[in-house]
Amino acid sequence: MHHWHWLIVIYLFLGGLGAGAYLTSFAAEKGWLGPNSRLSRVGYYIAAPVVAVGTALLVLDLGQGLYKPWLLVRLVLNVGSVMTWGVYILSLFIIVGLIKGYLVLKSKTAPNWLTWAGAVLALATAAYTGLLIAVVKAIPFWNTFIMPFLFVASALSTGLSVTALGAHFLEKQAHGNATEGKVHLWLVIVELIIVIIFFGMMAGGAKGPVGAESASMVMFGKYAIVFWGYFIALGLLLPLVVFGLEYMRAKQSGVQVATEPASTNSGTVAAVESGHESSYLVLVTDLAVLVGGFALRALVIFAALPIWDGKLL
Amino acid sequence: MNNAKKVTISRRSVLKAGAVATLALAAGITPTIAKADTAQDTPKNPNQIGFIYDQNKCINCKLCAAACKEANNWEEGTEWRRVLVGGKDNKHYLSYSCNHCEKPACAAVCPVLAYKKRDKDGIVIHNREVCVGCKYCMYACPYHVPDFSTATGRINKCHFCYQRQDNGEKPACVSKCPTGALSYGLLSELRKTPGATAQLEGMPDPDITKPSWVIIPKA
Repeated sequence: MHHWHWLIVIYLFLGGLGAGAYLTSFAAEKGWLGPNSRLSRVGYYIAAPVVAVGTALLVLDLGQGLYKPWLLVRLVLNVGSVMTWGVYILSLFIIVGLIKGYLVLKSKTAPNWLTWAGAVLALATAAYTGLLIAVVKAIPFWNTFIMPFLFVASALSTGLSVTALGAHFLEKQAHGNATEGKVHLWLVIVELIIVIIFFGMMAGGAKGPVGAESASMVMFGKYAIVFWGYFIALGLLLPLVVFGLEYMRAKQSGVQVATEPASTNSGTVAAVESGHESSYLVLVTDLAVLVGGFALRALVIFAALPIWDGKLL
Repeated sequence: MNNAKKVTISRRSVLKAGAVATLALAAGITPTIAKADTAQDTPKNPNQIGFIYDQNKCINCKLCAAACKEANNWEEGTEWRRVLVGGKDNKHYLSYSCNHCEKPACAAVCPVLAYKKRDKDGIVIHNREVCVGCKYCMYACPYHVPDFSTATGRINKCHFCYQRQDNGEKPACVSKCPTGALSYGLLSELRKTPGATAQLEGMPDPDITKPSWVIIPKA
């Protein structure tokens, strides 16, 4: 009983990815990802186009998307529908994101309110992709307040990864800094905790036998390989280990700074900053994060079992 | 109890803790099913109409569905009324269509306001001319009532033959039922029927959407 297929999976993934990319560059611009972060531009470039592509796929999925597209103006009508909220949020985010991206590209200063509006809309976009399905009572696997948090965590993680990958190829400063790795490590830890709570709750039957059946289908049934392999191993555990090791290494260099106050400061700072190097391992890990984020959207959409299977007992 | 039993004999390799919690939950559900054996509260809209279906009288002739199809020109791939067959003897039937719920989940999620619930009788009418075919309602409705036609790219569903009713006629399905198993009327009256329920075993909790239907289960 799947009514939504790959186009919606890709749309939900790209919505989170674009939103996360914007927030990554926003955080970098604010200095939250360390001094002179190489991530302060690329995320702004790709955010709006990525979300726009996702939205175009959504339109293609609509029965009337190509047939009677003028009907789509009515999508703004039901202010009580989360899908309508999404239409407003995504439209505004694409507009603001395009303006911000253009200004950054032209090295012009964007008004502070615009940058902030984009960040709020980005967060709203990421949360919306989860909220859209969280409100559906007839699908127990979706119907939990955890869903938007899970999708936001995944959006931030994939957004950071895609921005780091983009920066590796587009920015002159190829090396990342230790703060990026530390932030990503925390994002992965938070997402892992949310995943454990979510699946523990579902499998434990907090959302009834159908929610438990969905969870068991994902963890032990026909989606087990996608879940354990792509989502858990590639999307969460690999980054946990890689970013964790990077973090420990950077911390050790940091300890050296503290214990050797007499040494030339500039040298050790450079050593710390190269802690999160764009080594092949880190690049592969960033790719793995994207694979994991995509797998999550696919699992959530395809494991949606209805509260009633349509059969008469 | 039936629910708990079903979980125990299933061979699915669920975590032990999960299985235990599921059992506990299944046990917790039992009172809900018992509660549903009595009819629901008085409808909010006193003019709300609904279908009443007597499982004891139905002979699975499917004339209701055929009459509906003929009267309403179902778009390709859609079914406005279905007759389910089940029970241990495979001789339990359920003819059902839209329940014209008090809290229609389809209407709540529809971004284009294609669904309207009429005040005069509580019928939930879907306007397929403005439907964009997003399929959100298909997930929202716990009864799988909205159907998507790939041929026309839009949703179809039962509208209780509202035009026929406006002209003083009965809904097509009711008019063709040879045994009187399917009928309709003022919901507040229908709910007074002895033995009436709004939920058969394994079916959605009526609290989700407050369906305007009354079933008399086979004894």
